[in-house]
Amino acid sequence: MAKKLVRSVWDFENEWVETVAEVPERLPEPWAPDRPLRVAGQKYPRVDGYQRVSGDARYAFDIQLPRMLHGKILRSPLPHARVKQIRAEKALALPGVVAVFTHENIPPIPWYGDSFLFDPHVRYEGDEVALVVAESEAVAEEALGLIEVDYEPLPFVIDPEEALAAGAPKLHDEGNLWNGRPNVYERGDVEKGFQEADVVVEDTFRTQVVHHAQLEVHVCVADWEGDQLTVYETTQATFSVQRSLASILKLPLNKVRVVNYFMGGGFGSKLGLEKQTVLAALAAKQLGRPVRIANPRKDEFLAMGNRPSSIQKLKVGAKRDGTLTAISLWSLGPGGAYRSAGAELGTPVREIYKCPNVRTEESTVYINAGPARPKRAPGHPQGTFALESILDEVAEKLGMDPLEFRLKNYAEIDQVRNRPYTSKYLREAYEAGAKAIGWYEKRNKIPGSGVGPIKRGIGMATQIWGGGGGPPAYATVEIVSDGSVIVRSGSQDIGGGTRTIVAQVAAEELGIPMDRVTVIMGDTALCPYGPTSGGSVTAASITPAVLAAAVEAREQLKGYAASALNVPADQLAWEPGRFFLKSDPGKSISFEEAASRLRSNMIVVTGARGPNPEGYTINSFGAQFAEVEVDTETGRVRVLKIVAAHSVGRLINPLTGRCQFEGGIIMGLGFALLENRWMDPNVGRMINTNLHDYRVPTMMEIPEIEVIIVSEPDTKANPVGGIGIGEPAIIPTAAAIANAVYNAIGVRVRELPITPYRVLEALGKA
Amino acid sequence: MKNFEHVDARSLAEASRLLTEKPSVAIAGGQDLLCMMKDGLLEPARVVNLKSIPGLSRIVYDEAKGLSIGALVTLSELEEHPAVRQLYPAIAQAAGLVGSPQIRNLGTAGGNLCQKPRCWYYRGHFPCLRRGGDYCSAAAGQNRYHCILGGDPCYMVHPSDLAVPLVAFGARVEIAGPKGRRSVPLEEFYIPPRVDVTRETILRPGEVVTAIVVPPARGRISAFVKFAERGAWDFAVASVAVVVQKGEDGKLMGGRVVLGGVAPVPWLAPKASEALTGSELSEAAFGRIAELALEGAQPLAQNGYKVPLTKSLVRKALRMAVNA
Ligand SMILES: Cc1cc2nc3c(=O)[nH]c(=O)nc-3n(C[C@H](O)[C@H](O)[C@H](O)COP(=O)(O)OP(=O)(O)OC[C@H]3O[C@@H](n4cnc5c(N)ncnc54)[C@H](O)[C@@H]3O)c2cc1C
Ligand code: SF4
Repeated sequence: MAKKLVRSVWDFENEWVETVAEVPERLPEPWAPDRPLRVAGQKYPRVDGYQRVSGDARYAFDIQLPRMLHGKILRSPLPHARVKQIRAEKALALPGVVAVFTHENIPPIPWYGDSFLFDPHVRYEGDEVALVVAESEAVAEEALGLIEVDYEPLPFVIDPEEALAAGAPKLHDEGNLWNGRPNVYERGDVEKGFQEADVVVEDTFRTQVVHHAQLEVHVCVADWEGDQLTVYETTQATFSVQRSLASILKLPLNKVRVVNYFMGGGFGSKLGLEKQTVLAALAAKQLGRPVRIANPRKDEFLAMGNRPSSIQKLKVGAKRDGTLTAISLWSLGPGGAYRSAGAELGTPVREIYKCPNVRTEESTVYINAGPARPKRAPGHPQGTFALESILDEVAEKLGMDPLEFRLKNYAEIDQVRNRPYTSKYLREAYEAGAKAIGWYEKRNKIPGSGVGPIKRGIGMATQIWGGGGGPPAYATVEIVSDGSVIVRSGSQDIGGGTRTIVAQVAAEELGIPMDRVTVIMGDTALCPYGPTSGGSVTAASITPAVLAAAVEAREQLKGYAASALNVPADQLAWEPGRFFLKSDPGKSISFEEAASRLRSNMIVVTGARGPNPEGYTINSFGAQFAEVEVDTETGRVRVLKIVAAHSVGRLINPLTGRCQFEGGIIMGLGFALLENRWMDPNVGRMINTNLHDYRVPTMMEIPEIEVIIVSEPDTKANPVGGIGIGEPAIIPTAAAIANAVYNAIGVRVRELPITPYRVLEALGKA
Repeated sequence: MKNFEHVDARSLAEASRLLTEKPSVAIAGGQDLLCMMKDGLLEPARVVNLKSIPGLSRIVYDEAKGLSIGALVTLSELEEHPAVRQLYPAIAQAAGLVGSPQIRNLGTAGGNLCQKPRCWYYRGHFPCLRRGGDYCSAAAGQNRYHCILGGDPCYMVHPSDLAVPLVAFGARVEIAGPKGRRSVPLEEFYIPPRVDVTRETILRPGEVVTAIVVPPARGRISAFVKFAERGAWDFAVASVAVVVQKGEDGKLMGGRVVLGGVAPVPWLAPKASEALTGSELSEAAFGRIAELALEGAQPLAQNGYKVPLTKSLVRKALRMAVNA
């Protein structure tokens, strides 16, 4: 296949990345919106569903190798300290303990920029201090308690505002404010905009720290055979883990294999190489035995990332007719103790609505707490909560319906990059969502006007996100003589159903049943490169590569069909299931028969993702509508219904797609009403490091969920026409719920989570 | 978790002996004990299984003697028992609102009453008076979920849902130990922090709860209301049990109002209980009882909301009881 190199710019977790990618000269014919599809776009249960629910699926957590050792990490019990001395004698004397690693016997491998794998300057409760390796997990855990560490406690700061104050304890040489200054974006002139406004509203909003709380903890198993390292890892970033690990261990890429067949959730907490993976590899090398390190749940809370909290000061100006004249945002959030992910959240403010004058100023600070990591649509749920809340306030002041107000300020183009979108069906989403929730009938015209102590309300919010994906991304399609097909792609199925949609795209294009396709993903030794699963890019990146490979593989099979029919290949045409003679459609040969001619030959084709269209922005859009019930005596908010109407191009599988929306909405509900990291201000430690004090929603909280896809396939974005949905699903949920709560009780809660105590306090009852 | 030996006790006498020979704990359903052990808060040398003792898992109702609940009756069994549902609805309701179905299928009545505190500082290895530390972390820390009544010097809330209606019904706890058997009213089973901040119950080494005996229902009506932030798998932020009788004159008589989730022990509200007698079945009267129930509440910095919340639950429990 002829190829060329292109430069492609695309959106990954809200950051625009530029890649140079090899792409095919000839791109597959896009699946036109009116093309009838047999398999793709249909509701197929997951190809690995049975394995997952029966316990058959082997997760990294389940890997057991002969002679395997178990590692446990000793973490700092203090929020800020200097490690003076570590004495491991007692731990080493415990029967079953094989080794203890600390900064004294591990090379100073750089981490987080200015720190190390083991850094004697520990900066949060949970910072890595030592690794114990033992014959069993129980012994390793017991040995942790026998390691004696002398800490010199240092002053700590866990409040982002205090971290900015003069004289605050400093975590890094650069000072607590990242880069020494805020991130500033400006278009137009906000001061002028506010002067032109008839109505200006200004408010402060706060959101809490929440965790990924994924089911599968971080776990890895490192196994050396000679100089070949295999790592079983639960990760959203199989290839990136391979690359980082090889570079740190100074190994050629072909000596490092990362395997990740099944994953129990990540939500952004598994986007790269972990310290423990490096430690497991180093320990396994030195000890000559495989080493497994699995985190206890507590460590997940302390050290494996979180969505940072936020303080957002927003100011919005609008004309009497509803036209926005200016929006300004000042935000502050903690990145935690190290540089891992920032606390920016301004994209919704900059991009959702048409507004000529916009200024955002976003700051991230260091505090002595677990480093942030991207969590499902980093920045967006919290940014959207504040923006959509204040827009409702402005609409009320203007006496406008919130939907009408949003439509008045509909952005036809990407104002930041000044170019059109490949597709945007947000108007349709507003319309469909409003209809499904009963917006015009059920919404209280006067907020809080319901009678009785239990009040109902309706609210909505808008969502914007990337998810267009891009090159490089590859897939191979292999056809063998019994007509079965193997598809390989180096991305991973992190639980969203990627394996299933890959099989659907291949089965669709090859005209064969789903059960004839096997998909292999998440193995750097077996699969061609595929991107990290973050930013909702996986489907849009790899399915076009699968399509390209399938088209080409079928083309090659046509040669075998032609020789079987004894005609030149160019006289054959294809329809799902068979090749037929153009001049005599009755004369045909099935896919299987053609494949049987392969005998011991095989067709192996690598397809590549084509470039993104130049001069366009690829975004998903959507609106969610919430109906809630608030008990004004207890403060409890119950979500009765969420309608999710989204513009995401083509949904490749409405069943797995629906699951993504349900999962995102439930997670958004947890953010809105329940979840919170509690820190003790006096000692700087996290208090609720378990899953009953850290409350994720249960089945009892889950409302009726209606998912409506309003978009047409976006074949301008890519030939399959899908845009990512994993993150859009969570973005507007909390904001819609908050607006619904206001509509129910007539009092606005400007801080998440909207717990009973916050509602009672807002109502002036407590 | 440290290694330990697990021994099946065959009789109450054997259990008492096994429990006193070396640092030991009793295990029933294990739904709380294993949390304590996994978190390194209890490190017993021996775990004594009570489930192997015959005769402790029966529910017996007798019109004259009342209801006897064996210590090893599971919460699911209690929740589903026809006589309990019919005559002691508050008890069935409380049993049915504990944790989750899985926890109720294994967790026992005895274990529920004897469970250890759930204060997050206590469970999280923070400075804690109850665990022998120098101070109470909750007093000046995160105390949204702590007590508003009977605190000082420890502000935990008693975690048991079941204890609340049992105290309201005037239940007694039957105890067997190395020195024989005894029986105490449930409200005297628990030790308030002012008396001893390091112990939750009066159980002495080697003693186990064998049964809970509830006086005959005799026309008493009851209700239990629990409020938690989540619909399942969550402890009470506040709960209320009401047990009362409807007099011939259409007014209430006798009975108790007991609060859960707001004090270090199940909180029998004396004035509210007294005020039941002669009270009308009106919202206004219920409101007065609710005010009395929370009299003397002293919220901490963050938990003032529990006062109006609990008052609303008292009103709701009264409504539920009289309308059942
Ligand atoms: C996630 C979660 C949620 C929960 N939610 C709730 C809730 O909402 N409401 C609630 O009330 N509880 C709740 N619990 C607490 C508790 O586990 C259960 O209520 C259960 O009833 C405990 O009973 P068990 O038989 O499992 O006790 P075990 O765990 O076996 O024992 C608990 C304690 O009591 C002692 N003990 C047990 N039986 C006896 C006996 N007969 N005599 C003397 N001592 C004894 C044990 O030594 C141990 O210290 C929850 C627990 C968890 C883990
Ligand atoms: S409230 Fe009681 S149990 Fe909690 S920290 Fe204070 S003393 Fe300990």
